[in-house]
Amino acid sequence: MRVEKCYFCSKPCYPGHGIAFVRNDAKMFRFCSSKCHKNFKMKRNPRKVKWTKAFRKAAGKEMNIDATYEFEKRRNVPVRYDRELMQTTVKAMQRVAEIRKRREHAFWKNR
Amino acid sequence: MSAAKGLKAIAPVPTASDFLDIVLSKTQRKTPTVIHKNFKISRIRNFYMRKVKFTQDSFDEKLGAILTEFPMLDDLHPFLSSLLNVLYDKNHYKLALGQLRTARHLIDQVAKDYVRLIKFGDSMYRCKQLKRAALGRMATIMKRQKDPLAYLEQVRQHISRLPAIDPTTRTLLVCGYPNVGKSSFVNKVTRADVDVQPYAFTTKSLFVGHLDYKYLRWQVVDTPGILDHPLEEMNTIEMQSITALAHLRAAVLYFMDLSGQCGYTVEAQCKLFHSIKPLFAGKPVLVVCNKSDIVKPDDLGDEDKALLQSVLAEGAQLVIASCYNEEGVMDVKNTACDALLAHRVENKLKGSKVNAIANRIHVAVPKPRDDLVRAPFIPDTVLSRKKFDKDDPERPKLERDIQEENGGAGVHSIDTKKNYFLGNDEWKYDVIPEIMDGKNVADFIDPDIMERLEALEREEEKLEADGFYDSDEEIVDSEDERHAEAETARKLALAKKHAKNRTNLPRTAGMRTISEMAESLTAAGLDPSRLQERAAMLAKARGAKRKREGAEGMDVDAEDMSGDEDTYGDEAGMEVDGEEDTPRKRAKANSGAALATTRAARIRTNRLRAGMADEVQASKAVRLRNLGQRMRNMHAKAGESDRAIRVKMPKHLYSGKRKGGKTDRR
Repeated sequence: MRVEKCYFCSKPCYPGHGIAFVRNDAKMFRFCSSKCHKNFKMKRNPRKVKWTKAFRKAAGKEMNIDATYEFEKRRNVPVRYDRELMQTTVKAMQRVAEIRKRREHAFWKNR
Repeated sequence: MSAAKGLKAIAPVPTASDFLDIVLSKTQRKTPTVIHKNFKISRIRNFYMRKVKFTQDSFDEKLGAILTEFPMLDDLHPFLSSLLNVLYDKNHYKLALGQLRTARHLIDQVAKDYVRLIKFGDSMYRCKQLKRAALGRMATIMKRQKDPLAYLEQVRQHISRLPAIDPTTRTLLVCGYPNVGKSSFVNKVTRADVDVQPYAFTTKSLFVGHLDYKYLRWQVVDTPGILDHPLEEMNTIEMQSITALAHLRAAVLYFMDLSGQCGYTVEAQCKLFHSIKPLFAGKPVLVVCNKSDIVKPDDLGDEDKALLQSVLAEGAQLVIASCYNEEGVMDVKNTACDALLAHRVENKLKGSKVNAIANRIHVAVPKPRDDLVRAPFIPDTVLSRKKFDKDDPERPKLERDIQEENGGAGVHSIDTKKNYFLGNDEWKYDVIPEIMDGKNVADFIDPDIMERLEALEREEEKLEADGFYDSDEEIVDSEDERHAEAETARKLALAKKHAKNRTNLPRTAGMRTISEMAESLTAAGLDPSRLQERAAMLAKARGAKRKREGAEGMDVDAEDMSGDEDTYGDEAGMEVDGEEDTPRKRAKANSGAALATTRAARIRTNRLRAGMADEVQASKAVRLRNLGQRMRNMHAKAGESDRAIRVKMPKHLYSGKRKGGKTDRR
């Protein structure tokens, strides 16, 4: 089970929600809702649609580059299961989320 | 396509009378029919000539078709032509066709002659008689062709039922005395369903079956039995076998019945073999001893054995078979096919066509590049491993066995985590979190995550120390900013005010009270006492007048009273001294500290009467006004400019029948 990002609005698509579209060139698009799906079908560019994260990041309204983003990275090599590692990872995730939130707030204040 | 290869389907041949009917009725339909004796003679002649010519053409066409469709025996494969000869007698066939040809020629002649005569016919009657004569003669000629036509129809029907024998492909020819078991063999080996009966000559013509061997198609031709007498004495049925034997390049399967059940002795059969031996030249021959369930060649007597030997001396192969219990049938087939194949291949190799193919084929074999032996490598453990034996009690326990023990396939689920390699065996059955807070845990798992988190924490501390996160108090506004804010607030208030449709100045804007006046005068150094007295007096008088007017009765439109505010441009009613010629003003009923006017100069314009001569006129004006407004009020219009139509098509005006009224009510 993976939580994917919606191609249009960058929200998380939980399993069992949304639509995945596979194009003839084998590029896959996931949508969290029919709103995003319909916008995509209308050939709208998410970078121009105001309410999407893509727009906000491109327009500099939200923090783009930060050290906290380096933690979340898709890894192709599986790591052998280790209970301690799992525990520390979970705690780290929470801490990283806190820090990121704080930084985003600071960014917003100063933008 | 007709059954036999090389013979096309032939159209049915009509009988003589039918033929005649067809042609004559065609003439009648397809040529003009209207003629009269006082037409021009040329027209009459043309008419009759056309009829004669048309009839001739029709005959020509039809006879020509028949003649071309029936095959010329010389143009066919010798097997077919001799078969046709055997069946239909070549001479008779040729004669019939010749007769038709002659008939065609004769009809042409007749037509030519009579057309020439009609050309010089002088009356309609003469022309008509000539035409009648012409057609009559043609008819007679056709009637004489009754026999040939009937014969040809018979031939055609028979030809269409001939079996499709390909004279050039691989064929096995089955021959022998009647009743030896040829048809049974063919039935066994192919899908053909030939009649098998105990009487002789059950098979009266050639039959074909097909079989597959070595991925090739083989024809098996079943022939009627042959009796031992010279060729000239043979009847049609036997001649068919002979023809097949003579012309088909096939493997010959000579069937023998050693038991004598067919009604013929072994001796007779061997004699037959010897007499038709010449037909076997150049063909692989197989002698099949059928009905071996009854008698085998070893059971034969000495003379019979000797005779058999003589038969086999010719280079024929002996096979023993029994179609009844099916043993040896496959042997026969295989031997015959192999023999024929070998024979054919040999012939082909001898011919010149092979070289063309042989030159193009090349079989490549890899050449070894050195002397090294490269054998397959199998590790010793694998070689020495004990092979898993299902029945061995010492065998290792499979998952399947465990499954069976614990209740079977649907009940027990196999423990896949049993053999995991982990740092600590307690962790084997852990439930692993996958998703948390909208993120995948798997994306964060990293052996160095602790170091990275430490680095991040240090970074955080540094940022905090730099004051990055200091909460921002409101920075002191400069004067300009405060002004700007005040400005915006003011603008907002103004906008709100205008939204309510209010005036900029309140009513009491320019108002000044007596006491204010007195103050300012005192400040200026003047004495206000006299003014104050006068003002008091005036105020009293105004109050008394108002009371009086209230008793008299107000005007009709009392509402005007409150509405009047006839202030003039100059100071808001500060006239203290009387100015008689100033127009009257009506002071507001309840404006307390407001306008003080002179008694005399109180003007009360009654707007209702303004412009009207008298009451009567005024009331008329009012009535007229009301009249004009009535329709609009009835239609709930807001005013004379209200032209809006709320409902374009109200349903009650557009539906229903117009019973007895207008469309503004239905």
